[in-house]
Amino acid sequence: MSVRRKGPKATAVRVLTYGVLVIVALIVIFPFMVALTTSLKNNDDIFRYPPTLVPREVSTIAAEDIGADGDALPLYSLEGRPGTYALVDADVSLAEFRPLDDLARVITLEPSAGVKNGDTVVIDGEEEDVYVLALGDETVEAYRARLTSGGLFQNVDEASDTQLGLINLAEPLEKFGPRPQNFTEVWTDKELGRSLSNTVLVTFAVVIGQIITSILGGYAFARINFRGRNGIFMIYLGSVMVPFVVLIIPLFQLMLQFGWLDNLSALIVPFAFTAYGTFLMRQFFVGIPKEIEEAALLDNASRSKILWRIMVPLARPAIATLATFGFLYAWNSFFWPLVIINSGNPEGRVLSLTLSTLGGRSSTDINLVFAGAVIAMTPPILVFLFAQRYFVENSASSGLK
Amino acid sequence: MAAVTFSAVTKNYKGDGPTAVDSLDLAIDDGEFMVLVGPSGCGKSTALRMIAGLEEISAGELRIGEHVVNDVPPGDRDIAMVFQNYALYPHMTVRANIGFALEMSKLPKPEIKARTEKAAEMLGLTEYLDRLPKALSGGQRQRVAMGRAIVRSPQVFLMDEPLSNLDAKLRVQMRSEIIQLQRQLGTTMVYVTHDQVEAMTMGHRVAVMRKGILQQVAAPQELYQRPANLFVAAFIGSPAMNLVNVTLSGSPDRPIATFAEHSLAIDDRAIARYPGIADRIGSTVTLGLRPEHFVMDGDIDLPDDQKIWLDVDLAEAMGAEVHVHATLAVPPVEVEGSPVAAEDGEEISMSTTKLIARVEGVHVVETGETIRLAVKTHLAHFFDPATGEPLR
Repeated sequence: MSVRRKGPKATAVRVLTYGVLVIVALIVIFPFMVALTTSLKNNDDIFRYPPTLVPREVSTIAAEDIGADGDALPLYSLEGRPGTYALVDADVSLAEFRPLDDLARVITLEPSAGVKNGDTVVIDGEEEDVYVLALGDETVEAYRARLTSGGLFQNVDEASDTQLGLINLAEPLEKFGPRPQNFTEVWTDKELGRSLSNTVLVTFAVVIGQIITSILGGYAFARINFRGRNGIFMIYLGSVMVPFVVLIIPLFQLMLQFGWLDNLSALIVPFAFTAYGTFLMRQFFVGIPKEIEEAALLDNASRSKILWRIMVPLARPAIATLATFGFLYAWNSFFWPLVIINSGNPEGRVLSLTLSTLGGRSSTDINLVFAGAVIAMTPPILVFLFAQRYFVENSASSGLK
Repeated sequence: MAAVTFSAVTKNYKGDGPTAVDSLDLAIDDGEFMVLVGPSGCGKSTALRMIAGLEEISAGELRIGEHVVNDVPPGDRDIAMVFQNYALYPHMTVRANIGFALEMSKLPKPEIKARTEKAAEMLGLTEYLDRLPKALSGGQRQRVAMGRAIVRSPQVFLMDEPLSNLDAKLRVQMRSEIIQLQRQLGTTMVYVTHDQVEAMTMGHRVAVMRKGILQQVAAPQELYQRPANLFVAAFIGSPAMNLVNVTLSGSPDRPIATFAEHSLAIDDRAIARYPGIADRIGSTVTLGLRPEHFVMDGDIDLPDDQKIWLDVDLAEAMGAEVHVHATLAVPPVEVEGSPVAAEDGEEISMSTTKLIARVEGVHVVETGETIRLAVKTHLAHFFDPATGEPLR
């Protein structure tokens, strides 16, 4: 490494540079983080305000641990009381009594705990019955402010300590709680598995097809002399400029003639040929020194041997680039499958289509949509990580001179 | 092993393009080391590529051994070629590179292995067999290219400037190795170079070409001593032959050559070799003197009319000899395509002629000095200034 500038100013510049880069990196990565964490949230957690990045769930305790039976019980902490309480019964009737001598105080009890003594009292212009409450030794006269339903909380450490209270006033205890079931649910319930295998099949076929046709076409354009070669190559290049929307209707009619509507063939065959890929391979083959090919010719290698044993191995970086582009195109293509796989037959759907139906207007399973999205974007990320070294790898000339 | 015979072989590029090789007649004997030499664009590489089958032959007949190979594809000609840039397969190890031709010929694996290893051993490549070409130095790559050629035991080796990518020291070393290899294997070799030193040192015979036309085929010494024309005279030799247009006068048995302010008597032994000059008394001829034809006055006993005075522009002490550079106040003799023109980018004056003399190293010659040189005119060459033909 070369000698770098030193001194406080240079350090400040470097720190600033890295700071900006880190910020930009965080901005770029943020949507992915949101997608990933949302895909692990449960449905309640998604609508929490303010939203959190980390998926959380309510802490629970097994019912038998506190001598009850039934499902696991959620845990709460109650205001003004130490300790952890389990919600034993979420649907008890409650009465809020306010003592007549202290109207600000609220005593929450079962409705049957208060006994009418026959008197009435007027509060805020309303006539209310007077109840007598027995609180331990003390007897309090109070009126019943309202009847409601709430929960019966029990201290997890001391079974005798039970409290009645409104559930929404109690603070639920939460813990880190990812919900990987989102993935299995979207996989089985929404038939994402079938869509995924369709997409993998289509993508694989398109990539293989593109590689083979581009290698053959590119080699022919690069090294074989035939009449009209340059003219045909120009037409090839020109076809790259034609936008896809122009092709949709003719292509659709063609597929109709072939009887390929609603058929995966319609997603594969038209895309197994690529002018861009042919161009890419041709440019790479042109750059390989002709002498290498002549040496192989003198070594008694046939055209096909030269192509597959010499040229193709040398063209690996170009092939990796082509494969990556083909992969991303086939994996992400949405509009053409939407046009072709049109009968609502889920058997033929590809991932992009299924995702769009998952995330429809009335969708409530946002966690499932995100789980599906994460499944759909994982393979492209893996492919890129695997193939990126080919993008930077030097070309074939390293063996020469 | 086989002879290679060109019979009126011509190569035209498309349409009315230039003729790269014009009616070439050349017989390369079985086991001979033939060097094709000439300035760039002279057709030497094209001729070589026609032997290889990499270029179509427009007209004429090319034979390898007894067979006419005009229409035989390269792979079936049983020849091996070493390219200027070596053209190794970058993705294959040295072993695979050397063995590729054998593999293509569908030889059994053990035999491929044995022959590859034998070739590698011959070239000192054994320890590099499992490396990729990019992990080798220039000289080693060159050897791999050689190994790829010898492993097949072909009938003919073709070499297209194989040493031009090496540094000077390695070039000298590889030069002798290639010579030894060829003598050892006894295989016919056709070697293309633009470097006349390589041509002189390596070949049994040297074919000098210019603009697609063969100028002379001869053993190196003969090429040097008896150049077939002005072009060959100017091309072969380093430093090159000094050429100057002179006016002849005096008697036909000891004419006087006059150029600039100098005059030189021509020894009668030169007239024996070039009888044509007897008819040119009173007219202009091109005189060719090699640098070693000049001798420091006193080192040799020559008559005074064979001595000239020269102002030394530059004296290069080489150790064993001193190269003395001087200038003659006459226009230079132009020989198209010869390396004399603008060698090393030096400026060519259109009104003066450079002259280089090579005198013995014992003399101390200073730049700026005026020295007297004796000239061995009995070794001089004479050419017709218009046609470049020797006055034999």
